[in-house]
Amino acid sequence: MSKFPTFDTTKSRAMFEQATKVIPGGIYGHLGPAEGQWIPVNRWPSFAEKAQGSYFWDVDGNKYIDYMCAYGPNVLGYNDPDVDAAALAQLKLGNCTTAPGKVMVECAETLVDTVACADWAFFCKNGSDTTTLATMAARAHTHKKKIIFLKYYYHGDFPWAQKIDYPGITPEDVANNIICPWFDLDALQKAYDDNNGDIAGLIAQPYDHGNFKDNEVASKEYWQAVRKWCDDHGVVLIIDDVRAGFRLDLAGSDHFYGFKADLICFCKALANGYNMSALCGGEHMKATVSGITYTGSYWMSSVPFAACIACINKMKALDTPTMFRRLGKMVTDGFKAAGAEHGFDLRVSGEPALFYLRIANDDNLMLHQEWVAECVNRGLFITSHHNHFINASLTEEDIKKSIEIAEDAFSVVAKNHPELRG
Amino acid sequence: MTDQRTLAYINMYAVLGTLENLCELDEKAKEIISTIEKPISVAFDVKNGPSATLTFSKNGCRMDDGVNANCDIKIPVASCEKFNGIIDGKVTPIPTKGITKVNFLLKTFTALTDRLTEVMRPSAEALEDPDFFRLNTLCTFYTVSVAISQIGNQDAIGQFSASNIVDGDIQIGIADTVYATIRVKDNHLITIKQASDKPRAIMEFNTLELANALFAGTVNSIDHVGNGNIIIRGLISMVDNVNRILDRVALYLA
Repeated sequence: MSKFPTFDTTKSRAMFEQATKVIPGGIYGHLGPAEGQWIPVNRWPSFAEKAQGSYFWDVDGNKYIDYMCAYGPNVLGYNDPDVDAAALAQLKLGNCTTAPGKVMVECAETLVDTVACADWAFFCKNGSDTTTLATMAARAHTHKKKIIFLKYYYHGDFPWAQKIDYPGITPEDVANNIICPWFDLDALQKAYDDNNGDIAGLIAQPYDHGNFKDNEVASKEYWQAVRKWCDDHGVVLIIDDVRAGFRLDLAGSDHFYGFKADLICFCKALANGYNMSALCGGEHMKATVSGITYTGSYWMSSVPFAACIACINKMKALDTPTMFRRLGKMVTDGFKAAGAEHGFDLRVSGEPALFYLRIANDDNLMLHQEWVAECVNRGLFITSHHNHFINASLTEEDIKKSIEIAEDAFSVVAKNHPELRG
Repeated sequence: MTDQRTLAYINMYAVLGTLENLCELDEKAKEIISTIEKPISVAFDVKNGPSATLTFSKNGCRMDDGVNANCDIKIPVASCEKFNGIIDGKVTPIPTKGITKVNFLLKTFTALTDRLTEVMRPSAEALEDPDFFRLNTLCTFYTVSVAISQIGNQDAIGQFSASNIVDGDIQIGIADTVYATIRVKDNHLITIKQASDKPRAIMEFNTLELANALFAGTVNSIDHVGNGNIIIRGLISMVDNVNRILDRVALYLA
């Protein structure tokens, strides 16, 4: 007998149907049913009514402990009072103005003071804006063409960052992309040689946190070797820290792994949900970036800058990376133990602050998808395909309840699969 | 952009291969083959392209890969372009073996391929008949299922999608109606016209109508994943990559 009742998602389904009439796909992208892996769709919430701290409520009134954190932006907790107060104060002073608000400079100074490799900051809105600027900067700096990507990459959805078989992408869009495996320096050298040295940059996430697969953390030795290889070959090293940024190390994930990127891209955890992104880099890249034509209507809006400063200061005060590591370990240890009680081999991979889960009793993720659906439909919002996120408002009491729901969901799946008992 | 060699593989295995299913599902096709007194085989051998042997009997049709040395009629084709011309009706096939059985080609085989064209390229009015609609959808399902493997193996962009598919079975189907398996081994795809015993990924359309609309390109699969009319399970990256290949099927079969 399940201890946690399943949720009714009738209004969610109705609202989703309503959405499909006026929005392509209803909810497009990573928050939607296809990319978001709502398997099956009727167990998932579609739209939120409200959010607070580590929780959100759907349109049916169901309350979820949220381990996706809007896929990253919620780093301190939804509606964090300090960040919201700073944002509101700035809103009263001005937001999107002809002369950028002076807070833009303060925000850049905060980033320079926080991020180890940063001597400057260039602000945009989304992660894609920064990864695009970073690759342009690499090309402008080196006067070379090709960019090396590491397999299972995701650097946003702009055409250059997609793949040749994606709808709307032409071979020319991705003609200068070279994909190499992770943790293989020989492959980098081969790519360099095969392309007669025409390599402008190497773009990578700080470790392999690809979707649909166990995540593989990097070693300091690996990154130091890559750093040396880039230096030896005049290749600009770009770290896409959009997903992991500020969750492993407030000084940047490159700092966490013991090296310095030439360029580093931030977005999600930068301003606790206020929309901004930033490309930071070393002094040697500043003049190049100054010369690139690149701007956007809202990129210098002041409210997110104020939120960013407050967010970074609070993350420093709380030492969120240490907190996230501890909480991530606590959650995943609890999930693993709960799974083991019911005969499930739950594998945990990646960094604890961004843990990835997979039930390994089968080879096709179907048991895992069933378990995730049972969790979500009882108020524990996790995913079956993507790493998770911790936020600073998560309490040990929340984690205790999360583990109880996870255990309950395991019991349901175990009951539905008597064959697993052997 | 389409590629003539890929199209030839599709025309051979997906289009002509659907004669197997037509002869099983369609009363008119059954009537045509009922006149066959003893099994007769026709082999197509395309230079630098596909080769296969179709064997017809009054009980049905079977396609085997390669040229059967004992085939009754052999039709060598000089190029993929010429073979595609034969399928389009713009090039006349000339057998080098089985001249005396050319009557089968001119009558029975032509009648079957004409019927296949009628079923696969129907008028809007014809589709209003529920039985014909069902026949069209099922035959298209088999054609598309086989075309997916051919595109994944031959087309340059399809090969990229295939290169991202791990080993195992992807089962595609129309709920409680028809199933096929795309079996992947070392990024090579083979279509088996039946359900998988142990799929690693599943994509299932809930109605014939939805499947028909998807094959006709009038609806998008992402929309229908969202409203639950397409069920996906398992290693979704496998489904995702098959969907990318599926996107190219319409390009070739248009």
